[in-house]
Amino acid sequence: MKTAARQIVAFGGGGFSMESGNPLLDDYVLGLAKAERPRVCFLPSASGDADHYIVRFYRAFSAHRCEASHISLFRREQGPDDLRRHLLSQDLIYVGGGSVVSLLGVWRAHGIDSILREAWEAGVVLCGLSAGSLCWFAEAVSGFHGAPKRLRGLGLLPFSNCVHYERGSKRGEAYHGFLREGMRGGYAAEDGAALHFVGEELSRVVASRPEARGYRLDVAGSRVVEMRIATTYLGDRGAVPAAPLPEALSTAPAA
Amino acid sequence: MAAERGFSATATPVRRILALGGHEFSSSPPDRAVRELLLRLAAERGGGRPRICILPTASGDTSDLIASFYSAFGERPCEPSDVSLFRLGRRPLALRDHLLAQDLIYVGGGSMVNLLAVWEAHDIASILSLAWRQGIVLAGQSAGAMCWFEAGITKSSGRPLAAAGLGLLSGSLCVHYNNEPERRAAYLSAVGEGMPGGYGLDDYAGLLWEGEGTPSALTARRGARAYRVSSRDGEVAESPLPARFLPAPAPAALREDIAEFRRIKTMRKRAGWLG
Repeated sequence: MKTAARQIVAFGGGGFSMESGNPLLDDYVLGLAKAERPRVCFLPSASGDADHYIVRFYRAFSAHRCEASHISLFRREQGPDDLRRHLLSQDLIYVGGGSVVSLLGVWRAHGIDSILREAWEAGVVLCGLSAGSLCWFAEAVSGFHGAPKRLRGLGLLPFSNCVHYERGSKRGEAYHGFLREGMRGGYAAEDGAALHFVGEELSRVVASRPEARGYRLDVAGSRVVEMRIATTYLGDRGAVPAAPLPEALSTAPAA
Repeated sequence: MAAERGFSATATPVRRILALGGHEFSSSPPDRAVRELLLRLAAERGGGRPRICILPTASGDTSDLIASFYSAFGERPCEPSDVSLFRLGRRPLALRDHLLAQDLIYVGGGSMVNLLAVWEAHDIASILSLAWRQGIVLAGQSAGAMCWFEAGITKSSGRPLAAAGLGLLSGSLCVHYNNEPERRAAYLSAVGEGMPGGYGLDDYAGLLWEGEGTPSALTARRGARAYRVSSRDGEVAESPLPARFLPAPAPAALREDIAEFRRIKTMRKRAGWLG
């Protein structure tokens, strides 16, 4: 019986999908799985189950360090028959990037949304980047196609989320706008930064690049308050992990 | 008068849907016959260089399918394009405007369940329904054929199961009728249990709806058939429909070779080289 904590690691961007040759974030999520040879299942639904993406996953999560599998919802005849049983037997479920709108549509059609909640509650670690990060939150900012849009995710985490939160990005601007229009507060992460939640609480922010950061965003009156969160760079072995306390950095006045 | 046809503001465009039981975009003769049919239907609306757009959603926008579509239509007089909903991030597109500017929208095969789920998420169904009412030809094979009906038999979850479509056409459709006996069996039993009746289509058989009424059956391969499937008092009847054969055009390279041969023959005749 698994009684482990519920865990989600939401990457702003990074891992094998975006950081070829930098396995720090992938190593981090694999390390959260307590098994010696963890079972890792890749869900590439947001990419339309693109073959090249699946191949890259298997190269990154090679057989000598884990037991890797994937679920292709576009080619169900090739995969496990019982999706629920397969997903619940994993140590880590890794969701790829792509179109979050398509992702949520396809998941609903196959009942994956409720299976993932069940897996989370059973202690299976959930992670992903980009669309695979946005999906876990109650609300998300999608910049996948055209102007950034506000949409609903699965709602495992009762916050909003914005990925690829680079300085001066359109997504960032749009996120601030949505917050002022009443979107609930939440978290943003730059490429290379990952938000690690235990339960519904942010536990720490880790990064595969020394400069990458995560942010907490809230609205105070008509102002968006953005706090940069102390981040642990995963590259320096032996580095003292920074305390996971937000440091107030800036407050952005309302437009 | 024929000359006025295109100018009448009140004329209701003919609603056309071509449902195909299964084919590919290869250079095989039946595949070329299907391609020429699609091209002809598009040209009837759009003239000499019709716009033909593929929606490869059901396959997850696989590059293989998109590439074979472009290679089939690239050498023919038309403007091919694709709307890949999973790739919009790299290729932003005004979805509605693009789709409504087409003469023919072709929907590829794959997972019918995912096709309808992704279309719903992106609000594509209403655009396609409007396109149909505007006389834009809707076509497709496999999942891309069943999607136009009220229901189809999909293997989206592995085993063949009934799934709902957009319902532009009433009744149901089952594809790959000759090739997948388990799909056909699931269809016949579903119709026996109350699913609305409809049609079965072998690979390379098709049904063309032009306006209201009954469709005409077409076949691009000898022996490929379309069936009417209906239920009366729990008894399911399956009757083959008379179909028009679509001959395959000669491949482009062959057409050029034949033309060249004829030119040489004429020259030789003129020169008196041939008896």
